[in-house]
Amino acid sequence: MTYGLFLGCNVPAVRPDVERAIRLTMPQLGAVLVDLEGSVCCPAFGAFPSADETAGLALSAWNFSIAEELGVDLVTECGSCYSSLRLARRKLLEDREQREKVNRLLEPAGKEFRGTVVVRHLIDVLFNDIGPDRIRESLKFPLDSIRATVQYPCHTLFPSEVVGFDAPAGRPRMLRGLVEALGATVRTYSRELQCCGGAGGFVKGSFAGASEFAFKKLRAIKKETDAELIVVSCITCLEHLDRMQNELNGKDGDARCFLPVFDYNQLLAVCMGFNPAEVASISTIPRDDIISKILSL
Amino acid sequence: MTDLTSINTELWREITGTGGDIRKCFNCNTCVAGCPAAEGNPPLFIRNLVRKVLFGLEEELLEDETPWLCVTCSACEEMCPMGVHPFEVCLAVRRWQSRNDETFIPAAITEIFETGHTQAVGQVGAKRKAVGLDEVPPTIVKFPELLKLFREMLRNTDIVRDNDYMFRD
Repeated sequence: MTYGLFLGCNVPAVRPDVERAIRLTMPQLGAVLVDLEGSVCCPAFGAFPSADETAGLALSAWNFSIAEELGVDLVTECGSCYSSLRLARRKLLEDREQREKVNRLLEPAGKEFRGTVVVRHLIDVLFNDIGPDRIRESLKFPLDSIRATVQYPCHTLFPSEVVGFDAPAGRPRMLRGLVEALGATVRTYSRELQCCGGAGGFVKGSFAGASEFAFKKLRAIKKETDAELIVVSCITCLEHLDRMQNELNGKDGDARCFLPVFDYNQLLAVCMGFNPAEVASISTIPRDDIISKILSL
Repeated sequence: MTDLTSINTELWREITGTGGDIRKCFNCNTCVAGCPAAEGNPPLFIRNLVRKVLFGLEEELLEDETPWLCVTCSACEEMCPMGVHPFEVCLAVRRWQSRNDETFIPAAITEIFETGHTQAVGQVGAKRKAVGLDEVPPTIVKFPELLKLFREMLRNTDIVRDNDYMFRD
C-alpha cells in the first residue's frame, strides 16, 4: 500500500502537528507515504474555481500529474482538498475540451493529466484498506472508558456520486468505526451530521451567522452527550470546532465548552505512543488533560 | 423596479455553460433547507440565485454577494431533486461576477500565483521544526524552478491574462 501524501495548504502551514501524526502513524499500519514533490493548492473552491474554471482545473491537473508520474493514488486529510480534486478529476475526464485546454497549459511545464490515479480520503484508506482490526492491534494506549463524539467531514459525503465512499451517504459510519477501534465509546447526538460550517466564505462573510451555526452543534454535544472529546478528520473541522468553542465561551458564560478536538490520526498517534508534543501540540482548547488521562489508562 | 426590457434572456446559458439544466428548477427550496449559509445575514438562498440567472437579472446579480457565503459542503448538490447542480451554479455565478467586475476576483488567487498556496506554507519553518518536520515541506515552496513554470502556466489562463496587473512575479 503506497500513497502520495497530498498536503494542501492548511495542514503543513497551520497544523503541522497533524502532518507529523499522519507521517508517523500510517507507516505503522503498513501504508507507505511518498511525497508529491512540487504540489500546489488543490485549488480551494473559493480561489480559482470561483474565478476561472479552466485555471482551477489546471491546478488540480498539475497535482494529479505528479502522482501519475509516481504511479500512486493521492491521499489527503483535508476535506476541501479531497472534494476539489475529486470534482476536478470528474470534470477533466468528462469534458474533453477542458481536458485538452488544461493539457495545453501544462505542456510547457512538462506535465500532463492522464486520469490514471484517484484521490482518496484518509478515512477511506484507514477503514477500507487498513481496517479496524489492524488499527486495534497497533495501540499501546487504547481509549478504554473514554467517551468520544465524531464530526464527519461534509466534503467526503456530498455529492456522494463523486466523493462518496461511506454507505449509505446520508448515514456515514466509518469514522465512528475507526474511533471505536481505538477503544473509545462513541456518543451520538442530534446534530451529528451537521457540517461544521467553517469552510468557504461563510465565516468571513457572515461571522455571526457562521458562529451561531457552529454553536448549535457544540451546544447539542454538551447538552445531549457526556463526550470528553471530538474526533474529526478534516483540517477545517479541526480548526473551526476548536476556535468556535472559544467564541461560544465568550457568549455562554454559564455553559463553558472545553471539548478537546483531535484529528483522527493525532488521536491514533497518541494511542500508538508517539510524543504528544509532536503529534498533538497545536490547539485552542487545551488537550493536555485528556492526553494525560489516555496515557495513564 | 426591474426594467424587464433590459434583461439578458441568454444569461443562463452564459453562466451555467455545460452544467446541469437550471431551467428544471421549480424553486422547491430543498437547496436552502440543508444549506448552512442560509443562516447567514444576509442569507444565501441558492434558489433565488437560480431565479436571478433564469430571469437574466444582471444588475441584481452583480450586486449580490451571497454566493460567496457558500461553505462548499455540496449538500444542495446531493439533495436537489431536479439535477440542477446548485453548488455548480453557485461557483458559476461567482465566476461570472469575477469576469464582469474585477472587485469580485478572490485575493486567494493572487496568493496562489505568488506562492502556490493559500497559506504561508514556506514561512513557518520554526513551527514545523518544533513538531519534528522538515522546515520546508516538499510542495512547490521547496522548488523555485517549478514555481516559475507554475506562474508561466497561470499567465496563459484567461483570468490572469485579463487582470495581469494583479499578479506579480
